[in-house]
Amino acid sequence: MTPSAPTQRPQTPLRRMARRFLQHRLALGSLIGLLVLAILSVSAPAIEVLLGIDPDTVNLLARFAPPSLAHPLGTDELGRDMLLRLLYGGQISLAVGIVAALFSAVIGTAIGIVAGYYGGIVDRILMRFNDFVIALPLLPLLIVLAAIDLNKLGLPDEIVQSENISLYRIVAIIALVGWNTVARLVRAETLALRRREFVRAAVALGTPPRAIMLRHILPNAVSPIIVATTLSVGNIILFESVLSFLGLGIQPPTASWGNMLTNAQQMIWSAPELAIWPGLLIFVTVIAFNFLGDGLQDALDPRALD
Amino acid sequence: MLRFATGRLVESLAVLLIMSWAVYVLIGLMPGDPIDLMIAANPNFTSADADRLKALHGLDKPILERYATWLMAALQGDFGYSRTFTKPALEILLPRLLNTFLLMGLSLFLSLAIAIPLGVYAALRPYSRADYAVNMVCFAGISVPSFWLALLCIILFAVRLQWLPAGGMETIGHSGLLDRAQYLVLPVLVLTIASVGGFTRFVRASMMQTLRQDYIRTALAKGVGSWRLVVHHALRNALLPLVTVVGLSFGNLFSGALITEIMFSWLGMGKMMYDAILGNDFNLALVGLLFATSATLIGNFLADIGQVALDPRVSFAARSSEE
Amino acid sequence: MKKFLSALLMALFAWTGPAGAKDELVIGISQFPNNLNPIIGSMLAKSYILGLARRPLTLYDAKWQLTCMLCTDLPSLEKGTARHETTADGKPGIAVTYTLRKDAFWGDGTPITTKDVRFAWEVGRHPKSGAAGRELFTRITKIDTPDDRTFTLHINKRTCDYQAINDFEILPAHIERKKFADPSAYKDHSAYETDPTNPGLWFGPYRVVKVVSGSYIALERNPRWWGRKPQFKRITIRAIENTAALTANLLSGNIDYIAGELGLSVDEALTFAQRKGKPFKIVYKPGLIYEHIDLNLANPILKDRRTRRALLLGLDRAGITKQLFAGHQPVAHGQTNPLDSVYNPDIPKYAYDPKQARKLLDQAGWTQIRGGIRHNSKGDRLQLEFMTTAGNKSRELVQQVMQSQWRQLGIDVRIRNQPPRVYFGETVRRRKFTGLAMFAWLSSPQNIPLSTLHSKMIPEDANGWTGQNYTGYRSKEMDKIIDDLEVICAPDKHRALWHDMQSLYARDLPALPLYFRANAYILPKWLRGVQPTGHQYPSTLWAENWRVER
Repeated sequence: MTPSAPTQRPQTPLRRMARRFLQHRLALGSLIGLLVLAILSVSAPAIEVLLGIDPDTVNLLARFAPPSLAHPLGTDELGRDMLLRLLYGGQISLAVGIVAALFSAVIGTAIGIVAGYYGGIVDRILMRFNDFVIALPLLPLLIVLAAIDLNKLGLPDEIVQSENISLYRIVAIIALVGWNTVARLVRAETLALRRREFVRAAVALGTPPRAIMLRHILPNAVSPIIVATTLSVGNIILFESVLSFLGLGIQPPTASWGNMLTNAQQMIWSAPELAIWPGLLIFVTVIAFNFLGDGLQDALDPRALD
Repeated sequence: MLRFATGRLVESLAVLLIMSWAVYVLIGLMPGDPIDLMIAANPNFTSADADRLKALHGLDKPILERYATWLMAALQGDFGYSRTFTKPALEILLPRLLNTFLLMGLSLFLSLAIAIPLGVYAALRPYSRADYAVNMVCFAGISVPSFWLALLCIILFAVRLQWLPAGGMETIGHSGLLDRAQYLVLPVLVLTIASVGGFTRFVRASMMQTLRQDYIRTALAKGVGSWRLVVHHALRNALLPLVTVVGLSFGNLFSGALITEIMFSWLGMGKMMYDAILGNDFNLALVGLLFATSATLIGNFLADIGQVALDPRVSFAARSSEE
Repeated sequence: MKKFLSALLMALFAWTGPAGAKDELVIGISQFPNNLNPIIGSMLAKSYILGLARRPLTLYDAKWQLTCMLCTDLPSLEKGTARHETTADGKPGIAVTYTLRKDAFWGDGTPITTKDVRFAWEVGRHPKSGAAGRELFTRITKIDTPDDRTFTLHINKRTCDYQAINDFEILPAHIERKKFADPSAYKDHSAYETDPTNPGLWFGPYRVVKVVSGSYIALERNPRWWGRKPQFKRITIRAIENTAALTANLLSGNIDYIAGELGLSVDEALTFAQRKGKPFKIVYKPGLIYEHIDLNLANPILKDRRTRRALLLGLDRAGITKQLFAGHQPVAHGQTNPLDSVYNPDIPKYAYDPKQARKLLDQAGWTQIRGGIRHNSKGDRLQLEFMTTAGNKSRELVQQVMQSQWRQLGIDVRIRNQPPRVYFGETVRRRKFTGLAMFAWLSSPQNIPLSTLHSKMIPEDANGWTGQNYTGYRSKEMDKIIDDLEVICAPDKHRALWHDMQSLYARDLPALPLYFRANAYILPKWLRGVQPTGHQYPSTLWAENWRVER
């Protein structure tokens, strides 16, 4: 997916964008859906209290229970409430997707702006670095990262011994290798803006490059960044599920939709419903982020038909 | 043109070199190499045994020295033996490459064959119901976890309906063309579902942009028949950017699709690379990676060239400074 | 026309259905062997396939008795075919004499002779040959071959199990001798790699006829096989790594049978059996796969034996195996399997007793409960790190149950799993786990636990991180028992030593025994004669007995 980079961008009133976005019914629906999902996920502890169940306590006598009042979606292979697991898994999956996408957007923006602004040799080096990162196989990186002694890196015990450590690892690695699209877009945008009058004027006035990049270029390049980041949230959620499939994803007992789906895979014959729910949620979430990105693109693109 | 090409070539070679080095070091850094694992598995294994095997497999020297040795041999066309398969690395690689090429090529072809008409169709009726439907289908394909889709396909077509084999390359004992074709259907289907959406969306966006161009509007105003217009003018221009996108996915033809290959026991590059990396099979992993990366870089390069060749408005001078 | 169409469709899809005439068997396993040379490297997939095409000299049979396969009789001190001797450097040694079967031939008709035995020894002990398990080969100082079928091994170490030379794999000298001209290139140039369908490499009931690397290996009846004529003309072993795909292939008829040795775990088999198991016969065979948790005894919390006992008492292992494995994986009370002839039934056992566990924890000083977690008077938190192989669903399942059960006692157990290669190759091997490490030992019957329990086997820098005593268990008493077990062979005394070893293990608990893992064989109803062994020697070693019965 390569959102085409617009080359010229007259100042569009915010209101017009909002109106165009609201017209994009799928995107609007997606946004609402995602918000609901996010709110539900975040309020999982409250729901936990409401239902009066602990999502971590294993109950071997109630494995694979069908939906009931106490367990609206039944229980999983260890007798834990499916609904709560899905909500807590949602927290993790959404957090991984959003945080990693934001980090890679920051890195990509920085690299793209520098490459586009300075051009020449800096640009060529950064773009070949970009090629390099795209081609680099993730697998050995992941394994090396899984083995690094984080205590030696000076991280506090609190983090190292936390059960969410696999989460931090995955966010870190995705941020490190996932910035390509944004970098490419921002670079193209910067190249175009670099030739614009107001940037040239700023250069002529002797404004330091940092200020030009931050004050003049970045605000004008923000819409492709937003669109690409939104779209990459979905991709990252999918990627997390693939990592789980390979045994390199979020580690239990922390639930994520990816590892729930992978776990359910082996029970596909006896308890297919365990695979349906996380699969469906991944599908719906990813598709919603895609629609949202699509809608944003239409709304932010000044050339789109009104 | 020539300067642009040679410049890119040199840069790409530098990328290849650095990457092979980085991968070599990364694989070397992974803890638990196979000989460590042997020590863990075999109670009678002594440290002398470990040293002996490490020396035999050339794993006892410092990693930089090993890399230099490997590089010199590779430059002379000797890619060495695969450690895990105990066969020349190229002998393992080539059949896999062929399999991957077949699988990925077919799915790329199929994706384009579906995406182009679908994208054009949607672009001609923007924001209509049909457009929304196409949009839905596209995004649905992109948004399914691939192993889940593969499993659902296996359950439906292989187990329930028994129409197609659940996985593998050929029926053992039969090796006709038709037989092999059956085994291709499901993996190609899964890969196509996953990739068709991206292409369709791209064709649609590009087509819509072209249709807004002045010369098309002029042609429309002049009364050129709309169907001819679409085919002759708009489509041609709209497909130009697609060349870039296809060029960028050229690398996939050589690197394979790990998950699909695992699910359908397809002997492709993705699985081979995965196993080679996990098995510290330096020679095999590197030769595979070199192939895949070169293909990606060549693809990018061809995409650039193709763009120029097909679109006279883009000049090399402009591209080489801006690309 | 319609008829023609349907005929065409039939022709198109006929091959995918289950094969009609059953002179062919397709077995699914979850791993493809890297190579087929019996001496270079060892892996389960390889020994499974080699079981069809080769036979070891000696091995443990399905009744866990040591027997001869390629030889005629086991050597014995009583019969004079084994005798004690002194080695050249004055140490106690032993000479054992075996005779090869008269009717043993390589698949190309060349008789199997002592030349092949001698050649295998040469390869096995050569430092550059790439042989993985050289221990036995280097222990043999000399081989006498009075004739083509009789050979005497002079071994420089006297042990009670002197009869067993299970790891001695012979090689066809008439083919491999010239490949061994350059020993360091042998691993790559061996005919097992370059020409695996050469009939002269094989001598089992089947021989390899086709190898499609990564996909399948096809074997056909070997006309020179000396034993019972196998019923299946052809056996194909297909490797499918993903277990969901493996079961799908079974259901769609692509494969007939999922091997127990390398197939589904018990919990996977159970969920499969629940809805789809009807057309199949599912056999669960518990065996010598000892699933346990190694404890890092240097950890101040785990140093205290009371805490270790409390950990075990706080686990409802019977409940776990009943609920998760339908009771097919028996609870282990120590590392010796009850089916083993040396098992001691009178060892201390730790049935689920949370009350007693709490009492022991209190005694060990973990008395103050804050936020549900115990602390001691110094304010230390009762917190342990629990590691195992990431991606192993069975283990992850059990691990979460145990974590939950321990938390109820006020023990904060943190799960931190790693990919297998990191876990085994680094963390466990170099004893980098700080608390608990769950994994399994696969062993043969009557395996003396020298490498796992003797204090000289604690991996450390000084010994190049070899040995498997990962817990760091040091007990003079245990060291003595193990040393004696190797040399005191009189049946009564030997058995008494085994019993002492097991009670000591159960009292000290350097590791927490969990259960003995079972293999799940998913067999078609018409297949008879597959006899799971429950130890490291696969059922394929008796494949000539496999029969079709409708």
